[in-house]
Amino acid sequence: MSNYIPTIGIEVHVELKTRSKIFSNSKNGYGMGANTLTNVIDLGYPGTLPTVNEEVINIAIKAATVLHCKIRKMMNFDRKNYFYPDNSKNYQITQNRTPIGYDGYIEIDIDGKKKKIEIEEMHIEEDTCKSAHRKDVTLLDFNRAGVPLIEIVTKPCISSGEEAKLYLEKLRETLLYADISDCKIEEGSMRCDANVSIRKEEKDPFGTKAEIKNIGSISNVKLSIEKEIIRQQKLYDNHETFKPQTRRFDSKLNDTVLMRVKETGNDYRYFPEPDIPYLYLTDEQIFQARKTIPMTPDERRELYDKRNMSEVNREKIIAHRELSDFLNKLVETNLDFQIASNLLLGDISSYLNKKNKTLKETKLTQEKFTDLVEKVIDRTLTSKNIKDLLTDILEKDQSISELIKEKNISNITDDSILKEIIHKVLENNEESIKDYLSGHDRALKYLMGQVMKETKGSADPLLASNLLKEELESKK
Amino acid sequence: MQEKLSISEVKHVAELAKIRISDNEQEKYQIELKKIFNELEKIEEVKDYDEEIIITPTEEKCQLRKDEIGQMVNPKDMLKNVPRHSGNYIEVPVVINE
Repeated sequence: MSNYIPTIGIEVHVELKTRSKIFSNSKNGYGMGANTLTNVIDLGYPGTLPTVNEEVINIAIKAATVLHCKIRKMMNFDRKNYFYPDNSKNYQITQNRTPIGYDGYIEIDIDGKKKKIEIEEMHIEEDTCKSAHRKDVTLLDFNRAGVPLIEIVTKPCISSGEEAKLYLEKLRETLLYADISDCKIEEGSMRCDANVSIRKEEKDPFGTKAEIKNIGSISNVKLSIEKEIIRQQKLYDNHETFKPQTRRFDSKLNDTVLMRVKETGNDYRYFPEPDIPYLYLTDEQIFQARKTIPMTPDERRELYDKRNMSEVNREKIIAHRELSDFLNKLVETNLDFQIASNLLLGDISSYLNKKNKTLKETKLTQEKFTDLVEKVIDRTLTSKNIKDLLTDILEKDQSISELIKEKNISNITDDSILKEIIHKVLENNEESIKDYLSGHDRALKYLMGQVMKETKGSADPLLASNLLKEELESKK
Repeated sequence: MQEKLSISEVKHVAELAKIRISDNEQEKYQIELKKIFNELEKIEEVKDYDEEIIITPTEEKCQLRKDEIGQMVNPKDMLKNVPRHSGNYIEVPVVINE
């Protein structure tokens, strides 16, 4: 197959986290009985008037900010006209001429380099109703009609399925952290479409475009783009052409499937929505909305790097928002973030997963956690002690010191006592000494196990291991 | 100026409007639709569409609503206005599109 340059643009719709809908005061909810969350505005009854939800504008300002977009201060809404039963008004209220945000970007890391994925624009619009196709009837549920959305459109600047995947992961993380949307692809609160074309050389015009719609997961976006590129390459290699078309990704076939050929361009006959006057944003409104944006994932990365957290821990903590927020409340203290993150990601996370609990549902306070980290640093507590104590730490109100006292934990941190025990263990395990001296590392582990057994787990493991090695080396 | 639309233009408009029209009607609309289009073209000449167009008849600014939940429609009442329904769902002929 010949080499071609792929050009990809991504459109993402996300539902916004508001209490009520965008143009009516019906509840914005998911998973309720069909047509229970509607009113005359959502149903498009004649004579009804839309009124814009203030929170939608605030959330859109926040989204534009975290996507590094410029914010338009004067805007209007437009009607996108089409005949389809998912919208009883026969038009969708959207922003065609004056999107609230434009000229933004999201930065991704690809092959060790940073790349800015440029965002052409992001606009506000209403969601349509949900239609379910049965054998000979289509069923409509208007609960989703009028749910606020933002659509985020990139420039055609993405050049592979992998880049698209990284962009979507970063976008999702950014929107989640800014409390814009819950971005659940499986529930439809985040929906992705990809526009794919290929061309021979940079100087050539863009090739014919295929749009892949409603892809069910981020990994399938990558896969569907890769499959579509191969399909187009084969066609061009055989000197075939194709018409602009809409396709979908079939996860069973593992390939894209034709939905329809676009004979003409869009005929949506956009015109300004006369029922909603011009909307003017003030500097104060923008300032107030921005003030509520929590620390972004990239700002967190920077902070954790400064606090010497390992890259692995950093990414795991950021993937778990509650742990990250918990840790950030301790930013003013001189807490060791590496040890703190080890504890949060290790024993504490296993407990939370096992009990299906959030950190908030435990008795772990910032103060108690700081104390725990300090007790690890000064070796009052060993990893074994923590395992033994953890349930009590997380379920009881007592302080760490009180729990240590109650459980009678006292570790051997005295060199001379430990040395005595090590001598005893070595006397009883001469074979293992020989093994160690002839280069078998496993012997060290065995001997260490014997020391821990002899001390009933109360030896400081690091100290014991160092002393044991010292003793063994002296026998060389 | 062209007197009438081509048959294919009429068919295209009919398709967009999702209406079926007979051959006789096609010929009729070739002339009638063209007359309407001619009127619309006059509007294009009058106003540059890009800047600060008037979108509402008053000079009012958009007033925002607080994000609060209000009264919703009882599905049973709503379904009285619907020709066919299945449970609480509204039934329409099968249309598979976007």
